[in-house]
Amino acid sequence: MATAAPSAAAAAAAEKQRRLELRDLLNVKYRYIDRTWDVVFWITAIFIVAGAADITKLLFAGDWDFWTDWKDAQWWPVVTAFATIIIPSALQWIQWVAWRFPTGATYTCVCLFMASWVGRYFQWHVAETYPLNFVWPISTVPAAIILDWILMKTRSFVITSLVGGGAWAILVWGFNYIPLAPFLQPAQFMHHVMTVSDVQGIAYIRSQTPEYLRHIERGALRSFLGETQYVSLLFGGTLAAIGYWVGQLIGRYLAVWPIGRYLKTY
Amino acid sequence: MDSMRTDGEAGYGPTDWLGGWRTLFWSCAALLACNVFLWIWDYNFAFTAGLNSASRDFTLHYRTLFWGELLSVGAFAGIWYGWLVRTGQALKGKEITPREEVRRIAVLWGIIGATSLSLYIEASFWPNWDGAWHQTMVRDTALTPTHIPMFYFFFPLSVVLALGAYLYGRFRIPAVYGAEKGFPWSFFLLIAAAVLEFVQVAFNEWGHSLWLSEEFFSVPFHWPFVAYGWLAGGMFAVWGETILRLLGIEKELPKVRELPQQTAAAGGR
Repeated sequence: MATAAPSAAAAAAAEKQRRLELRDLLNVKYRYIDRTWDVVFWITAIFIVAGAADITKLLFAGDWDFWTDWKDAQWWPVVTAFATIIIPSALQWIQWVAWRFPTGATYTCVCLFMASWVGRYFQWHVAETYPLNFVWPISTVPAAIILDWILMKTRSFVITSLVGGGAWAILVWGFNYIPLAPFLQPAQFMHHVMTVSDVQGIAYIRSQTPEYLRHIERGALRSFLGETQYVSLLFGGTLAAIGYWVGQLIGRYLAVWPIGRYLKTY
Repeated sequence: MDSMRTDGEAGYGPTDWLGGWRTLFWSCAALLACNVFLWIWDYNFAFTAGLNSASRDFTLHYRTLFWGELLSVGAFAGIWYGWLVRTGQALKGKEITPREEVRRIAVLWGIIGATSLSLYIEASFWPNWDGAWHQTMVRDTALTPTHIPMFYFFFPLSVVLALGAYLYGRFRIPAVYGAEKGFPWSFFLLIAAAVLEFVQVAFNEWGHSLWLSEEFFSVPFHWPFVAYGWLAGGMFAVWGETILRLLGIEKELPKVRELPQQTAAAGGR
């Protein structure tokens, strides 16, 4: 106890000194570094972040995001959870390392949200005349806020991947189930009972994506009846945890590691 | 900001919106103008002239557009690279004022910002129409109305912009990208991201000719397209290493002798 008090006092003094140094850093007057650099960085980065996040979603889980009748209980929660966590994870690393901002996932998902809606509105709705209530994109923003909150509270990428990855699958599904629910209501069509989204799929012809290509609810998992959704969410959560580390590799080794490194010297 | 306006010959400071950042605005405006033109072109002609590649209308509206795009991107690259190298060689060995170096970093950020916009357009804006088009229309050619703007304009343009950004840095920001320092990993990844896409575009068309006529967009042979989104992480490294250089310039400021006439001597390049 006799030695604990002086070491605690020393630690407090060191902490106070560090706070003063940080405060000084805030008040440094630069000649050329001004807010325009911040504005340009945060705005121009929107495009590459949105592009990277959207192409990853489109190519790993696009079909399940394009149409309401693809948003099923078996595949949609699995592929979407993996595809959408990768780039948010990369940005979490970049923003945490650079500024200790627990905002990387939210920033990415807002960028993705805007890019997805621009794409769906201008390309799917205006150009191809599909109704927006058939081709609306999911939102990952609420799940991203919670993923960032987990990183902020735990300050651990391992815990964020394990807890956040599992939560990601549930949250992405849960928050998007709200807009999806009206399209899962039963409807009678040509003397058959199906969902409203199935009727949309029949009404709006996709001549290059015929019904036999619709990759939903296939295989014996359907025999799990009401459990299908939860089995899919569990698997989606584990895949999201893996996807989180794919994103970490991108953030760590493709974005931050190369800073100031050279491939070859002459 | 105001104080910067007063200390330069050019009238604007290196980080004034109409100073160093001007490149960002003009390059992005030009890119957006090209994109709006191509979108309106497709909106007007995709359904009327773009469905049958054997028709005269298709040749008139789309094969012409295809060659026009390739020639214009090629001509732009030749002229811009020629100018960058020729004027860059002339700057070799000349001392750079901190003010001028900051302005050049801002110009580099402008080119990188345009590259970012181009990558978004090729990775999100057009793939959305490409998905909508190919899931609903039968293709009879690799040069479909959505492929022509995406694969044959914005894909090569992103390569041109990324390589041009490196050439700009190599000759004008030698403290970070000078030849003696070697080839930076940041630009290697960024350029590789764009170049790899040509491999994937070729693979994609070959794959469609072999395996699928129908479109399942998330099909595994589409997956390698994600590589350019991931490798473009090198862009953050470009931002990071130039920010470090900016901090270095600020630290060096008291020791450096200002050469106010250099900006004018360099011709604002």
